[in-house]
Amino acid sequence: MELNDTFYMKAEFIETASGNKVSKKSVLCGSQNIVLNGKSIICNDCIVRGDLANVRIGRYCVIGSRTVIRPPFKKFSKGVAFFPLHIGDHVFIDEDCIINAAQIGSYVHIGKNCVIGRRCVLKECCQIADNVYLPPETVVPPFTVITGNPGKPTGELPECTQDLMIDATKGFYQHFVPVQEVK
Amino acid sequence: MTTPSQRSRKVSQVQRVKISPGAVVCVEAEIRGDVTIGARTVVHPRACIIAEAGPIVIGESNLIEEQVLIINKKPDDASPSKDDKPETLVIGSNNVFEVGCRCESLKIGDHNVIEAKAAIGRDTELTRGNVIGAFCEITSHGALPENTIIYGDKYEQRRQYEKPPDQTLQLDFLMKILPNYHRLKKSTKTDR
Repeated sequence: MELNDTFYMKAEFIETASGNKVSKKSVLCGSQNIVLNGKSIICNDCIVRGDLANVRIGRYCVIGSRTVIRPPFKKFSKGVAFFPLHIGDHVFIDEDCIINAAQIGSYVHIGKNCVIGRRCVLKECCQIADNVYLPPETVVPPFTVITGNPGKPTGELPECTQDLMIDATKGFYQHFVPVQEVK
Repeated sequence: MTTPSQRSRKVSQVQRVKISPGAVVCVEAEIRGDVTIGARTVVHPRACIIAEAGPIVIGESNLIEEQVLIINKKPDDASPSKDDKPETLVIGSNNVFEVGCRCESLKIGDHNVIEAKAAIGRDTELTRGNVIGAFCEITSHGALPENTIIYGDKYEQRRQYEKPPDQTLQLDFLMKILPNYHRLKKSTKTDR
């Protein structure tokens, strides 16, 4: 199936040398601590909190509108620390999500309006449905589908998930095309 | 060019927002109307505090994260002829408002946690040690008993034996780190 083109105003996005497309309406706090490895898209009104800890986002990732990515904190006997947040390659995060995870593997799909609790670990090739609340410190094994509030495993993904996610994220990137503002 | 009327409005707005010394309020947070913020309260960027129908008073050591909306809103069924005096939205101390929650409640006590994307209606009152789980929308009338937890998509309720732990350490950490990355709103002297 071929994706439809998604259009964006050229003036609203910044395209970096490595092909990242970042909306000017998004908030990247502490941008020196945020690494985008290339060809990733950050849509309007996203918030990425690099000021709390390092955030590393792999290649061909899509971060939907109004999503918040903030590194998780953990309390120790002496003080707290914010943990760095790593997101793998070909990860698709839909709109209105709150990502507090410690680690998100590659080829992961997160649906709309999800809350991923503090220090969750999402392994490779898993899928989170829409409107899921994943409680803190959950580990999601590979090839699992999580639904509900609180999130529970309800299904499995096929072995070809990796290829499907590569196709989906690359397709989205290729069909994310600029339009000039019409005057 | 700002006209004199605009300028005066701006000045009056600045004066109406009172930030106690020791509070950390990022300039990217949107604060409108008569708002008082107590000492050691941290307001993250993109939080929204709007005093529309009356003043908002926020106590000490609260944590207000991104996309939080605290609003003192006019009730929808209020008749315009009935002109009673504006009610104040009061928030106690040591509360945590997590990312994306919405709070219209007029009275919030101490040590409460409102988790991500939860919502509290105007007539609900949080007392002490209440936890509202993620996605829970509470619009009931009256006060919740102390140490009540509401969670899950079936709105399950239970009591916990003690109040949720304080976030003092996190607040200390944020107070240290936020000034390095954000411009802060200056604290204003209060008359107290």
